[in-house]
Amino acid sequence: MIMASPAQTRSAAWLLPSGLALVVLSLVAAVFLGVVDIPAADIAAALSGHGSPEARSIIIEIRLPRIVTGILAGIQFAVAGLLLQTITRNPLADPSLMGVSQGATLTVTIFLLFTVYIFEPGSNTLAELPIAWLPAAGLAGGLAAGGIIYLLAFRLDLSPLRITLCGIAIGAVLHALAIGLIAGWGSARIEIILEWLSGSLYARTWDHALFLLPFTIAGLAVLPLIYRPLVLLQLDASVAASFGLSYRRQFSLVLLVSCALAASAVGAVGPIIFIGLVVPHLARFLAGRHFPLVIPLTIVLGAVLVTLGDLVGRLVGGAEEIPIGVVTAILGVPVLLALLRKVP
Amino acid sequence: MNARKSSFAIGFVVAATLLIVLAGLLPGAKMLSFDTVLRALFAPDAKIDSILVWTLRLPRSLAAAVAGTGLAVSGYLLQSLTRNPLADPGITGVTAGAVAPIVGCFVLLPWISSAYYPLVGLAGGLAAASVTFWVARGGNGRPLHLALGGVSVSLFLGAITIYVLLLAGPQSTALLFWLSGGFQGRTWSHLIHMLPWIGVGVVGALLLHRVIAMFALSEHAAAAMGLQLDVWKPVLLVLAICPVAGVAPVAGPVAFVGLAAPHIARLLKPQGTIWEIALTAATGAFIVTCADLVARTIAIPKELPVGIITALLGGPVFVYLIQRGRLDFQRDVA
Repeated sequence: MIMASPAQTRSAAWLLPSGLALVVLSLVAAVFLGVVDIPAADIAAALSGHGSPEARSIIIEIRLPRIVTGILAGIQFAVAGLLLQTITRNPLADPSLMGVSQGATLTVTIFLLFTVYIFEPGSNTLAELPIAWLPAAGLAGGLAAGGIIYLLAFRLDLSPLRITLCGIAIGAVLHALAIGLIAGWGSARIEIILEWLSGSLYARTWDHALFLLPFTIAGLAVLPLIYRPLVLLQLDASVAASFGLSYRRQFSLVLLVSCALAASAVGAVGPIIFIGLVVPHLARFLAGRHFPLVIPLTIVLGAVLVTLGDLVGRLVGGAEEIPIGVVTAILGVPVLLALLRKVP
Repeated sequence: MNARKSSFAIGFVVAATLLIVLAGLLPGAKMLSFDTVLRALFAPDAKIDSILVWTLRLPRSLAAAVAGTGLAVSGYLLQSLTRNPLADPGITGVTAGAVAPIVGCFVLLPWISSAYYPLVGLAGGLAAASVTFWVARGGNGRPLHLALGGVSVSLFLGAITIYVLLLAGPQSTALLFWLSGGFQGRTWSHLIHMLPWIGVGVVGALLLHRVIAMFALSEHAAAAMGLQLDVWKPVLLVLAICPVAGVAPVAGPVAFVGLAAPHIARLLKPQGTIWEIALTAATGAFIVTCADLVARTIAIPKELPVGIITALLGGPVFVYLIQRGRLDFQRDVA
């Protein structure tokens, strides 16, 4: 492994504290700023369980759950991106480039289109949609897409980079299917689906956060286990093998973890693109040669960028807020294009 | 294969396409017999059967054939231009580049006449392709970089498109139908609007077959043979995007045709670039007419979008090409 020089270690030591400070700052900003102007004193009162009922309901029932959901989803997207980039040895991999997001999108679309006939015959309202099931539907689709990638990788004996190209094709097919289904069977639900499809934290509840929490925890808990393989996979498959690494087993494990993280997040908040792609790069850029820092920085930055992106969308759009997916797309594209140009 | 055999192969594909067009006149919400269709074709009257054939089914099938021709030639040109067997309007972001600004105009600038949509599509497609190629040049034009650049551009434009649909309100249903790609309810006027754009691409490609052949070798070879790269590159790029700009306003994005048609055509081993282009064009027409026929007959009386059918067929072709394409991606390892 590449050793960091003392100077680098010293500068690295500042990174995490400043990152955590950034988390706290963005959290505070997200709680205190919003379309409805609430005095800071009322917010503080609401947080401690006192204050006016309106302030309490806005803070506790609207802002906090969407912030927490956003943080969890941001962490999941970012870590999923890091894992995919590492196992495919493609610095530009991302759940939405590998078809995982599109797989989750397809099953969520199917779920949103057809559940009413399963759960609530005869009704057609948003309130009666069992929305808490969405992440589970997304998980199923994302894992299925990951399964296809896995089969292709080992049936066809594809190189990691060819797997990325196959992921692009799978993503295109699944996306076409989802759009076709919405066009053909969307009827009254098109707006609900579009809202979700644009990647939005609008009206996310504690249910969404609670669904994501176990995935975030499990995903983070697995990270130490796959840390060594991740470092080795940064090298070559043959080098990794010479360190006694079973490439196939590690590939499968990391792919599974990353699909589960990305797919459940897509189910909860929709396909937010570019977080999984850009955050690991930023983390690597900041960490320099100090690889152990990449993972914590990825986690921190994923949480911060989604929180801030959502805040920007809420404040700029006003009552008609701009979905976080659009904000990340607009802000992420310049970064992404610059990265694409630079990667050899 | 010599010229005679090549022209025979093209004749065969064209005949097969015409057969599919003819067969496509029979099925639908009202099934017509072969006799009825022939009578309606050659002795049209004011009866419902003739109207069905002449105003609904025939223009639609022909529109599918013409769109397929254009998309296939566009894919061929992009593959030659980039020397990348995986290039096609979808992968390079051209389709998303053409589609997104059209959706934007439809929703946000409704006073712009739809007659200008091909121009809007051309501008958007050119912009998207320029970004993709600029990105790909960073990777020396390797297949992976081109694909990643194009898909990133497409993802970005897709996110914006969905947001615009969200703003569109009730209009979003119609837009989604169009976005899923298809020829439902397309008329003669759609066909006529599409024709010049596809004509420019196809005729231009046939006329410039020598230039295209030089490009397909390598840029060095082309330059050594005295080709003005700075002049011809943009010309070929515009020729490649014109058909997509023509098809997009009419049929929306129809995926993978531009990728698959040139490869399928090459399986027949036509001799020379000009024959390859002609055969590619015929193959594209055949693929899309078949896909359209399947789309509207597989679930009568409901219709599936053609885009779904071509995606389901094209995805495996893409995977096959990657596995078999003898593309050296290993060098791309960062």
